[in-house]
Amino acid sequence: MLERVKEIIEEKLGLDGVEIKAETSFKDDLGVDSLDLFELVMALEDEFGTEIPSEDLEQLTTVGAVVEYIENKKN
Amino acid sequence: MKTKITELLGIEYPIIQGGMAWVAEHKLAAAVSNAGGLGLIGAASAPPEIVREEARKCRELTDKPFGVNIMLLNPNADEVAKMVVEEGVKVVTTGAGSPSKYMSMWKEAGVVVIPVVASVAMAKMMERAGADAVVAEGMESGGHIGSTTTMALLPQVVDAVSIPVIGAGGIGDGRGFAAAYMLGAEAVQMGTRFVVANESIVHENYKNKVVKASDVDSEVTGLSTGHPVRCLRNKMTREYLKLEKEGAEFMELEKLTLGTLRNAVIDGDVVNGTVMAGQIAGLIKKQQSCKEMIEEIMTEAEALLGNGGRR
Repeated sequence: MLERVKEIIEEKLGLDGVEIKAETSFKDDLGVDSLDLFELVMALEDEFGTEIPSEDLEQLTTVGAVVEYIENKKN
Repeated sequence: MKTKITELLGIEYPIIQGGMAWVAEHKLAAAVSNAGGLGLIGAASAPPEIVREEARKCRELTDKPFGVNIMLLNPNADEVAKMVVEEGVKVVTTGAGSPSKYMSMWKEAGVVVIPVVASVAMAKMMERAGADAVVAEGMESGGHIGSTTTMALLPQVVDAVSIPVIGAGGIGDGRGFAAAYMLGAEAVQMGTRFVVANESIVHENYKNKVVKASDVDSEVTGLSTGHPVRCLRNKMTREYLKLEKEGAEFMELEKLTLGTLRNAVIDGDVVNGTVMAGQIAGLIKKQQSCKEMIEEIMTEAEALLGNGGRR
């Protein structure tokens, strides 16, 4: 899951070659703004077939948080 | 002119006045609504009780629909969101995020909800959350902006959602209206042109700066902090951009702009103040009443559209 999420982040946000770990913060480490986050969420929804309502966006601060969120949704 | 937006909002002309902080108060909003458009009160970071008072005063000046723009990053947003329901405001536009947590409360009260979006993904999210329409706002706009131009953003948003789309950013006359209409917009939102309206309470220095501005007179501050703002260049923008280039910290940059929009709008400090305006400022040459502006725009747009879009 983490690997796939990392690939999507790299692809959607053009972050090839940037080190991405579970604790990587979207805002502080990757400089992701709210528009990028919307972009990413749409891609994650397509990939994992789950809906991420926009009110949950503020929980998704790190890459690990995204993975955890999607895993919880799936179960 | 009838469009999906005039029907949705119960207004005569598909022109919405932007919910500009400090600028969009009750006199301007009521003048735009009385002229057949939709006036907005910009809640920005004002205390909820002030916004309530503004809504009440606006109601005294017009029996036509008007709206409130809520800036969602504002710590008072929850209270303002409730207030619009209590005051029976019919239209809410939102900026800086997603209003989904207020959606059921607003829908129950029959409020029309129109988020401002700067990307296709955001527009889709808002449609799914129950928005009635969206404003697709390009980076030509004044104030807080996204990164895509109106020309590119508008048709892509129109294709991506099935709710009506309102075009904003870089629109200042009938040609701009007609162009947005051709790209699929059901209405336009304009800010900068209304800044210089006779009914606008903006300081004369600010209005003069907008009227005198040329096409290249706006700058974007705050790109490095992730909160880009378009404003007319002056001493403040020169200092800000210099500091930004030198890699200044967020807080240091903040100090330079804290309270400066108010200083420009209310006190007329257009040297050290923040003079927010869109790239279309160069096109705006005179002060007029809101009614004159709206009628001029509609007459020109209808003539152009009836003529295949050519003068």
